[in-house]
Amino acid sequence: MKNLLEIQDAHVYIGSFYILQGISLVVPKGEVTLLLGRNGAGKTTTMKTILGIYPPKEGKIIFREEEITNLPTHKIVNKGIGYVPDTRRIFGTLTVEQNLIVSRRKATSHSEMQERLELIFDLFPDIRGFLKQKAGTLSGGQQQMLAVARALVNNNDLLLIDEPTEGLSPLLAKNLIASLSRLKEFATILLVEQNFRAVSKLGDNYYIIDSGKIAHEGNNMSELIEDKVLLAKYLGVSI
Amino acid sequence: MQRVTFTIKDYLDDNPRVKQILKYCVSIALIIGAGLLVKVAIDVYTWNGFIIGVSKSLVNGLALSMLLFLMVSGFFLIFGLCGVINFAHGAFFMLGGFMGFVIYLATESVFLDPTLPFFLIFGSNHLALSITAFIVSALGATAVMALIGGGIEFFTIRRLYGNPIAQILLTVGFMFIITQVAELIWGPPQISYFIINNSQISYFFISGTLDLGGGMIFVWYRIFLIFLGLSVAGLMFVGFRRTRIGLQIQAGIEDSEMVEALGTNIRRLFTIVFMLGSGLAGFSGAVLVPWIGANSGHGLTYLIYAFVIVVIGGAHYGRFEGTFFSALIVGLSMQFASYFAPGIKDVIVFIIMAAILILRPGGLTGHGQ
Ligand SMILES: Nc1ncnc2c1ncn2[C@@H]1O[C@H](COP(=O)(O)OP(=O)(O)O)[C@@H](O)[C@H]1O
Ligand SMILES: [Mg+2]
Repeated sequence: MKNLLEIQDAHVYIGSFYILQGISLVVPKGEVTLLLGRNGAGKTTTMKTILGIYPPKEGKIIFREEEITNLPTHKIVNKGIGYVPDTRRIFGTLTVEQNLIVSRRKATSHSEMQERLELIFDLFPDIRGFLKQKAGTLSGGQQQMLAVARALVNNNDLLLIDEPTEGLSPLLAKNLIASLSRLKEFATILLVEQNFRAVSKLGDNYYIIDSGKIAHEGNNMSELIEDKVLLAKYLGVSI
Repeated sequence: MQRVTFTIKDYLDDNPRVKQILKYCVSIALIIGAGLLVKVAIDVYTWNGFIIGVSKSLVNGLALSMLLFLMVSGFFLIFGLCGVINFAHGAFFMLGGFMGFVIYLATESVFLDPTLPFFLIFGSNHLALSITAFIVSALGATAVMALIGGGIEFFTIRRLYGNPIAQILLTVGFMFIITQVAELIWGPPQISYFIINNSQISYFFISGTLDLGGGMIFVWYRIFLIFLGLSVAGLMFVGFRRTRIGLQIQAGIEDSEMVEALGTNIRRLFTIVFMLGSGLAGFSGAVLVPWIGANSGHGLTYLIYAFVIVVIGGAHYGRFEGTFFSALIVGLSMQFASYFAPGIKDVIVFIIMAAILILRPGGLTGHGQ
């Protein structure tokens, strides 16, 4: 199996709005695939389509060579997908530890969770220090670490990570991306990131999405960074 | 008027010290007002009568508050997680009362039947018999209401998530159906059913009063209810903090889509919460029967109490603190009013609700405006 995840010509409506207008992409196993595009292009919707939150009206989603298109969200996730949502969405009234406990799925045993916690503490040593703190009282950077940690509680094959550095200071963003690049050994990643320069070393492939369609795709990040015309057209980067 | 209040508000926001002073003045005025009320009460009832009234109202109020809290917690949980305002919740409470009543008497007659083996266990030990029948009736009413509530969610409400109007119509419909059925079987609200009057042995395990002398007489069962309510509330608190499902419910109240995206079957969780919420209504209805009786009119009355308590407490992310204090306020004020000012006992909670909404539009735990 080369591709862990595959979206085939997905057409997605939210209410009566036609949002994704025929998206096709593949996420090769063991690699980091970037999903780029302006605000409102349809990146988050693509993530939610994979998760079954917005199932496609037409098209197929295939995970580990098995069709998951019309499964309910929890069944899809239980196949081994971790989700780091765009606005963190940590549970503010729970403690950090409780946030991690609710994230444990049935298939993950307690001893397995202990191992995963070691990995989490290794990646984000700070988390150990605020385990007992209410998650709502954490700083933005700490909340983002928790949002990533929550996706690591279970042994997931695929991680969907949506704009992890949004709202973080440049230094925090750099540290977070360094942590993400260490995740590469453990999981396949589909990553949405506005600051594509910061992740250009991390990405193996990229898709640029524009108005609900794939506008461009490739696997040479250094070429993309040099392509001023393309960047200006689809990512709003001035020349 | 609107403009005037805004100007005053702006002025106060700009002058925090004036606001501070004003706050002190209001507090002092409230304390003086309360003091005057107490003075009047003492004059009217004499010092002794006043103390007796206060302690009786306190015991009765605490007992009622604890059970109101359990009932409303169920209502609040269902609203918090599933977003459904369950208008049938009061009817669940009422039906829970009848279930408690019926199950108690049925258990009693089974235990008293000399042809059945239970007779060997209890014999003429009416205390043990009555305690067991009470436990069976409380748990039985909880289970029956949990099944009814869960069933209603599973077969009807489940299809209507995201459609609040349809949900309201449906739950109002269930309220009427349950109330009508109860009236058909047990008669109109003029009739209340009490266990002791219908018991074959005219016996209930807690009866009588605690007489501390000097008119300080308390009904034992209400004292018992305080502790029973507190224990169940305590169990519930611990359950929510310590168990995985409790945490999932709390997290789901904040963001149910995210809980689902982490791998929880949210539909199942909704059904479980409906069962839990309806079970709490059934439980509180059942254990209140020896005090307030089983009565087909309780559905509407207690639905209104549930609304008042939620509004006063403020719907703040499934936190129970607000609901708890609000249940205390409602339970205590009803009992104090019925002793000291029987004329306003039926409207006191609405007066308090209006006052709190004027001062804090979001309720006790809400954010000011
Ligand atoms: N719940 C919704 N209802 C209606 N339109 C939506 C909703 N969510 C997203 N959209 C629209 O879908 C488009 C894609 O949104 P999104 O996937 O969030 O973009 P991105 O993540 O790339 O910034 C936007 O035009 C947005 O306005
Ligand atoms: Mg987005």
